[in-house]
Amino acid sequence: MSVTTIGRASAVARPRARTTWRLVSAEFLKIRKRRGLVALAVLLTVGAVVMAGAVLAVLHAADPAKYGPAGGLGNLGNATYLLSTLGTVTAVLVGATMGAGDLQAGVFRDLVATGRSRLALFAARIPGGLALLWPLVTVSWIVAAAGSVLLAGSHPHPGLVVMVQGGAWVLLATTVVYLIALGLASLAGSRSATVGIVLAWQLAVTPLALGAAKLGVLREGLLTAALDRVIPAGLLPGARPDPVSPTMSIAVAAVVIAAWAIIPLAAGAWRTKTRDA
Amino acid sequence: MKTGLDMTPGGYAVQTSGLTKRFGDRIAVDRVDLRVPAGTAFGYLGPNGAGKTTLIRMLLGLTRPDAGSMQLLGHPVPAERSVALLRVGAMAEEPRFLDHLTGRENLRINAAAREPDAAGRIGPALERVGLSERAGERVAGYSTGMRQRLGVARCLLADPRLLILDEPTNGLDPAGMVEFRGMIRALVDEGRTVVLSSHLLDEVEKICDAAAIVDRGRVVAQGPVGELSAAGTRSVVVQVGDLGRALPLLASHPAARSVAQEGQQVRVTLGPVADDQARSAAADINRRLVEAGVGVYRLDLPAATLEERFLQVTHKMQEEVAA
Repeated sequence: MSVTTIGRASAVARPRARTTWRLVSAEFLKIRKRRGLVALAVLLTVGAVVMAGAVLAVLHAADPAKYGPAGGLGNLGNATYLLSTLGTVTAVLVGATMGAGDLQAGVFRDLVATGRSRLALFAARIPGGLALLWPLVTVSWIVAAAGSVLLAGSHPHPGLVVMVQGGAWVLLATTVVYLIALGLASLAGSRSATVGIVLAWQLAVTPLALGAAKLGVLREGLLTAALDRVIPAGLLPGARPDPVSPTMSIAVAAVVIAAWAIIPLAAGAWRTKTRDA
Repeated sequence: MKTGLDMTPGGYAVQTSGLTKRFGDRIAVDRVDLRVPAGTAFGYLGPNGAGKTTLIRMLLGLTRPDAGSMQLLGHPVPAERSVALLRVGAMAEEPRFLDHLTGRENLRINAAAREPDAAGRIGPALERVGLSERAGERVAGYSTGMRQRLGVARCLLADPRLLILDEPTNGLDPAGMVEFRGMIRALVDEGRTVVLSSHLLDEVEKICDAAAIVDRGRVVAQGPVGELSAAGTRSVVVQVGDLGRALPLLASHPAARSVAQEGQQVRVTLGPVADDQARSAAADINRRLVEAGVGVYRLDLPAATLEERFLQVTHKMQEEVAA
């Protein structure tokens, strides 16, 4: 490739990158200005971790013989479970709002009428919502990890590797659920229906299915089973006491997680491209 | 400012051929051939449910046609949709916004989907529609009129050569409508093309240079507003002293298609005749009445209106459908 060609390619890429950046910024503006949703998301992530830690600390201070220290590796596992559950709720709320917000407000048609590609409009929603979700989950995890060290008392401290891996795992778990909600909301065009369906699936149907031994290997297709397979070992007992698929390979788990993220997204992208705006 | 008829091949800002859209068995848009001259205000006039919004939605790529072809600013749509829409500002149906954002933020969202220069047009657009001072307030608190203005401001972000406005004066008070007409005319004077869909005949007649009348998805007449109006049925209204003698005289007049008593006056319908023919007929009616000794207190030849033309063509359609 000649120097001239490279120059041309980068000249084209720069405006495209700026356009993408503008679209993503606009998506972030839409979500961050929803004060009620942002307040709820903060409460469900940072708020929940702080409150749980505070309650454990108060109980330990009041009756050290009965209640152990609020920190330590075990309690970081509990925080992982708490954050993955309430983080899931947050991810569903944010994802469903990103997926169906424009349609339900009736502004999607005005964005399409600008001539901008529908797929570009859809793609910008993904980082737009993550720009809200990731900082909240990350801060929550940092608070939980710091608490697990500072309030460990006689309990064993979690190591740095476990803390980093645990943070990555919580981000992975919430991101996948976010993508599912975004894709399904774009497909269905309804925020409330998506919130109801995804939360019911993840918080009610999945635990029941995981406990149904008759389903056998089929359970390995569930998102929670695959996520359990890749959770840092030190955090597993607190996060999920009874993993159903200890024998699932990491590769299979990765494929299952990727499928859960990609299939709803692809469906949402297809519907965004083909629907009457 | 880019202007004029030279901006599109053939001088048309919008051109459709055989455009058709069906919803199940119902045909919403039926083989529409539309030609909107560039640099004019063009009315797309029809009763509610005539398929006006569906046509606009197809032009903007919001829904797909079942048949036919279309061009915006000389670019075929949907093949060159993104290029065609670059200089198109559109308000399809009632303007909708993200209510939790301010007016300015809503424009920022739309500008982000446009070219980089669009963000720089937010301030001037708000100023032009008179919303600069309220742009920092959340749209949830806007009145219908303010939303309409914000919708027009959103269109202006494109620096549009073509504006497509769907029922833009809905919800405006009389003063707002007058102001709006002024704004549209000013945009046309800048060389932009404005396509205005409306069911309000008076609005189209006052704003537009040319119009198409649409009924049941079909364009039944199109052309300059003056020509469309002139092609309508004309009538002569007379007030006489002796109705009993006047009525048979008027009914037997060769130019009269029908005669109807309206209180103390009589309306003589002439049919679609040219201005000079209508004037001659009126003079002849007056002469015959006077010669017959019938006192004429008043004789009026109302100007041809788009309303009469509209009613004429849409009634004809209804009769055809009934038959």
